[in-house]
Amino acid sequence: MAVNAIDQTRRMLSLVTYLRERPGARVSDVARAFGITEDELISDLDVLPLCGTSFRGGDLLDIDTDGDRIWWHNPAALSAEAAEPLRIAADEATALLVAARAVATLPGLRESDRLALLRATAKLEAAAGEVASASARLSVTFESEGGVFADVDRAISERRRLWIRYYSPARDEVTEREIDPIRLVSVGHTYVEAWCRRSEARRTFRLDRVAEIRVLDEASRPPQIEPRDLSEGLVQPAAEDPEVVVEVGPGGRWVAEYYPHDSAEELPDGGLRVTLRTPDPSSLRRLALRLGGDGHIVAPADLADSARQAARQALAGYDEAA
Amino acid sequence: MAIAKAERLMNLALCLLGARRPLAKRELRASLEAYLEAGSDDAFNRMFERDKDDLRELGLVIDTVENLDGEVGYLARRDSNRLPPVSLDAEEAAALGLAAKVWQQARLAGAASGALQKLRAAGMPEDVDPYETHGALEPRIPVHEAAFEPLMLACRDRRPVVFDYRKATAARPETRHVEPWALECWRGHWYLAGWDRDRQAERVFRLSRITGRVRSRAGRFQAPVPDVVTVRETVAGWAGERADRSALIRLRAGAGYPLRAKAVSVRDLGDGWDEVEIPYGHGLDAWLVEFGPDVVVLEPAELRADVVDRLRAVAKG
Repeated sequence: MAVNAIDQTRRMLSLVTYLRERPGARVSDVARAFGITEDELISDLDVLPLCGTSFRGGDLLDIDTDGDRIWWHNPAALSAEAAEPLRIAADEATALLVAARAVATLPGLRESDRLALLRATAKLEAAAGEVASASARLSVTFESEGGVFADVDRAISERRRLWIRYYSPARDEVTEREIDPIRLVSVGHTYVEAWCRRSEARRTFRLDRVAEIRVLDEASRPPQIEPRDLSEGLVQPAAEDPEVVVEVGPGGRWVAEYYPHDSAEELPDGGLRVTLRTPDPSSLRRLALRLGGDGHIVAPADLADSARQAARQALAGYDEAA
Repeated sequence: MAIAKAERLMNLALCLLGARRPLAKRELRASLEAYLEAGSDDAFNRMFERDKDDLRELGLVIDTVENLDGEVGYLARRDSNRLPPVSLDAEEAAALGLAAKVWQQARLAGAASGALQKLRAAGMPEDVDPYETHGALEPRIPVHEAAFEPLMLACRDRRPVVFDYRKATAARPETRHVEPWALECWRGHWYLAGWDRDRQAERVFRLSRITGRVRSRAGRFQAPVPDVVTVRETVAGWAGERADRSALIRLRAGAGYPLRAKAVSVRDLGDGWDEVEIPYGHGLDAWLVEFGPDVVVLEPAELRADVVDRLRAVAKG
């Protein structure tokens, strides 16, 4: 069972405090209040009757549930003092404070949300006391384009369609499209996930590549689609996408840091052989050009050719023979 | 079947919180089913020490007191373990609910939910469901680097660390001895700032370039940690975002939107090309080459030569 014992213990300690005040609490309500699934809550409720405050044999917590409500038959088994809410630990304060500060710095966030975050952060710092200072050791900044963010946020809450001019680095072109926004996702940079009316597909747009934006009067009608799990990253190549192999010297190792890849094999000279997949290999011509002498495309051959071709054409602009 | 660890930790916590006097190790051993089953003294001692550390990890303050007979007892004092009164309104509660979901690293995600649950147990309002109000906004802090957790703990505990680090362009990793100060996530990547003991200077390390394990050294370092660490400025310097001059290029009409977005001036040459003045910092040559035949560098001569060199390397490749 992949349950972290520390997290579960921490949760159960809060749970006894919470349940003591709420006889007959509903399983669904408690699970929601604790941000856990009902199954997780039930597994906690299976452990609690095996726990007690004192010596063996007596004072076990007599807590049970019929699956709907939770009953605690001997709340006196835990003194009011022993059931008091526990102080916030250093790591807990750090985790919540760093996250709250990071979200509060998101350019474009609604002012009311930002103020609520800042008030909550101040109260949490006060409640955590000196352990809150440990949170200064971590910081996170989200990048976003404030004006674009605010327009997307407004369109989502008012359920309206957006018109954007969007820059696509793969083709080095700016295109106009109408999109029905679904959600804003910040992972370092901020993106809007939307239904693109132009490609009739779900697309993710990075806010700093939106050249222009307008909230339209038309209603937004994204089709009902399963939300994508983005925990593995925004770029998730499909298994059927064509493979690209790039060999880089030590100076091109950054390719493995910036491009999600299937494998990165060490080469004897300190370089790497990186294998990645992309729906559109021609979009990697930029990469081949950027690498210069620090690497080259091994496959597919036509991509390598097109990079060489582009370099020769560019050199012609300098009156250089290639 | 062995007794589950969470059950054992919970019993130990409740014993210590419920006691009105320090409890001796032998009393605790006789009280907890799991300790009775532990077998040898050694096995019990190891288990007990680990359990105390785990409970401290989740925030329990456990004092060690010696009684008149010199026997050591343990006590979780009421006043040092009680959450001070904190009153959050519904909006603030929703804001923290959003913040608690941001971490994608197991340890910090667990800690953030733990904090929220403690506040919930202390009566934080729950009528506003953050999923409803913020469903359309998902900030996430990605942590893919294995070095993150050991470095986070080393920063917290001020422990010097040793790791192998491969600089961006180095063929081989080098061993670095560092007093870690702070971790910062910028544009989705994690960086460590600290004092490099070999170089006797402040340095910034990118976590994804750390190879192998991070080992932490015994003892705490005593040198003060600066209040303001300039991770972002350093990284921006690597990325060539500090421009002190400008360059003049010819750019094909319609191409190179990001170059235009940074432009100081754009002049239509009337022949399907524009003349564009852009800030010139480190790394501009590599970026310009990406645009292939749509860019021709006019000046300075040094940038023009760098771009031509790169293009030649690709043309030959």
